[in-house]
Amino acid sequence: MSESHVPPVITVESASVGYGEALVFRDLSLTIPKGQVTALCGPNGCGKSTALKAMRGLLPTRAGQILLDQTPIGGWGAKALARQIAILGQSPSAPQEMRVRDLVALGRYSHRAAFRTLSQEDSAAIETALEATDMAALSERPLGALSGGQLQRAWLAMVVAQEAPVIFLDEPTNHLDIAHALNVLDLVRHLSQTGGKTVVIVLHDLNMAARVADRVVLFRDGRIAADGAVADVLTEARISAVFDIACQVLTRPGSALPLIVPLGPLPQARRG
Amino acid sequence: MTLTAKAAAPVGVLLIALFAVAIGSSFMPLDRVIAALLGAGSRADGVILWNIRLPRVLLAALSGAALAVAGLLLQRATRNPLAAPSVLGIVDGAAVGVLVFFLIFSNEANALVVSVHWQPLAAIGGALVFATTVGVLAWQDAVSPLRLLLYGVAMAAFANAIVTLMLIAGPAFRACLALIWLAGSVHTADWREVGLLSLAWCLALPVLAVLIRPLDQLRLDDQSAQSTGLNVARTRAAALLVSVLMTAAAVSVVGGIGFVGLIAPHAARLLYGSGAGPQMAGAACLGAGMVMASDLLVRAAFQPLEVPAGAVTALIGAPYFLTLLIREGHAHV
Repeated sequence: MSESHVPPVITVESASVGYGEALVFRDLSLTIPKGQVTALCGPNGCGKSTALKAMRGLLPTRAGQILLDQTPIGGWGAKALARQIAILGQSPSAPQEMRVRDLVALGRYSHRAAFRTLSQEDSAAIETALEATDMAALSERPLGALSGGQLQRAWLAMVVAQEAPVIFLDEPTNHLDIAHALNVLDLVRHLSQTGGKTVVIVLHDLNMAARVADRVVLFRDGRIAADGAVADVLTEARISAVFDIACQVLTRPGSALPLIVPLGPLPQARRG
Repeated sequence: MTLTAKAAAPVGVLLIALFAVAIGSSFMPLDRVIAALLGAGSRADGVILWNIRLPRVLLAALSGAALAVAGLLLQRATRNPLAAPSVLGIVDGAAVGVLVFFLIFSNEANALVVSVHWQPLAAIGGALVFATTVGVLAWQDAVSPLRLLLYGVAMAAFANAIVTLMLIAGPAFRACLALIWLAGSVHTADWREVGLLSLAWCLALPVLAVLIRPLDQLRLDDQSAQSTGLNVARTRAAALLVSVLMTAAAVSVVGGIGFVGLIAPHAARLLYGSGAGPQMAGAACLGAGMVMASDLLVRAAFQPLEVPAGAVTALIGAPYFLTLLIREGHAHV
């Protein structure tokens, strides 16, 4: 589970990124190792989603640089970058009347020449994505007729159809019940283990992060508080310090993974 | 939608075109129309057809199609079903451009000191100035659909005020000339104007063809569209620019024919679906039909008066716009 021998696919070098006047983080350095699932965790507003967007080139860096395969992220063309990194944001939207299959087909944009119709490869990728997300039976439905969980899976299918070696997911289990959330996490593991994908996933729930990730990065106030293998990072001391909560870390039955039990907020929160 | 319904629109438009050629101050039966078209008819028929009716019908068709496609581009680029050239102040901006042109380049005797051929350029200039202003204002709000609409309405009102002032303050001759232009009319059509619009179409067509796939991608929200590989900013800028130029080209020769750009894309979506390609072709076809039909209607109903076709499109368009506002104004787009 150690990342020391894995070549990095994305390198963040002393990057500062923000919206408008305010910087969300400054001087951030981070590497994303190839083929692993990296979970970004931390309190609200700690910069984890911003880091994800910056690594996808959706936000400009004010200082420092972000490299994808040794090339600055800004130097990649829109389509070339999309063929390398697919990202599912927190609140994607598309017209209600669009069919699931048509949404998933939009994921093929970066692979298609301007005037070509869907190729055999495109169709195959769409079918594979629909199967992988368990959406094949619902592929003719309009998005407006889907439940929250189905809708999230439809968007995941679009991202999978993009066939990028790197996949970013920003809180993909939001609004999902526990069964659908676990399904999504299983899909992520599947993509990583059998598909060889590099996955960066922003998650609120530390137990979900422990379940899906090879490596956890804990953010706090725009800085990295901890970065390493799941068992090394998700310790009582670290979690208490980052989230200002008292907690107990047990061992999950039937595995060596940590199981975090939050006990309550620390009496004197240091936040503010 | 059945195939019959889909085929009905182009067939209807063709029929309208035939009627439009046949009907005028004198009726010309179909056999004489065809004979004149082939150059085998009487000399009078030939003159009427080639010098008066044909340019008029072609101008109506080309400008209607241009306005329809311009409206579609605006609606797609802003993801706002209520966006249209006439609602966003582009048409009124063009009117200001034309009036300023009349004002600057008229001499004491009220005659234009430069060729009237420059008038389209003035319209394009005015349209660009007002479209840019609306765009800059809306950009600050990350192009929120509702605010874009409000800015457009405000700028259109502003442009209208300028137009009214210049009409009243200016000499009567110019006011008369400008009023006909403002209401939107194809009755002064000549081949030069047809040529100008054809040129605009020739320039726009390749860009439109390239834009079809990106426009389909733009149905996603900005971040999702970008994450699939679309250059969102470039697509939006290109669509808006082509829209403004097509509006300006159409408006510069036929005047303020309103609401075609609003209605035609909606009707086309109902008929041909949401794919950008079919919708665009359908909108062009329907837009052409709408302006030709409006012009035909005013010719048939108000003869021998020349009522501007724009009056009819607005008469039908305004109530339709109101129903859209009521139905979709609250929808989250």
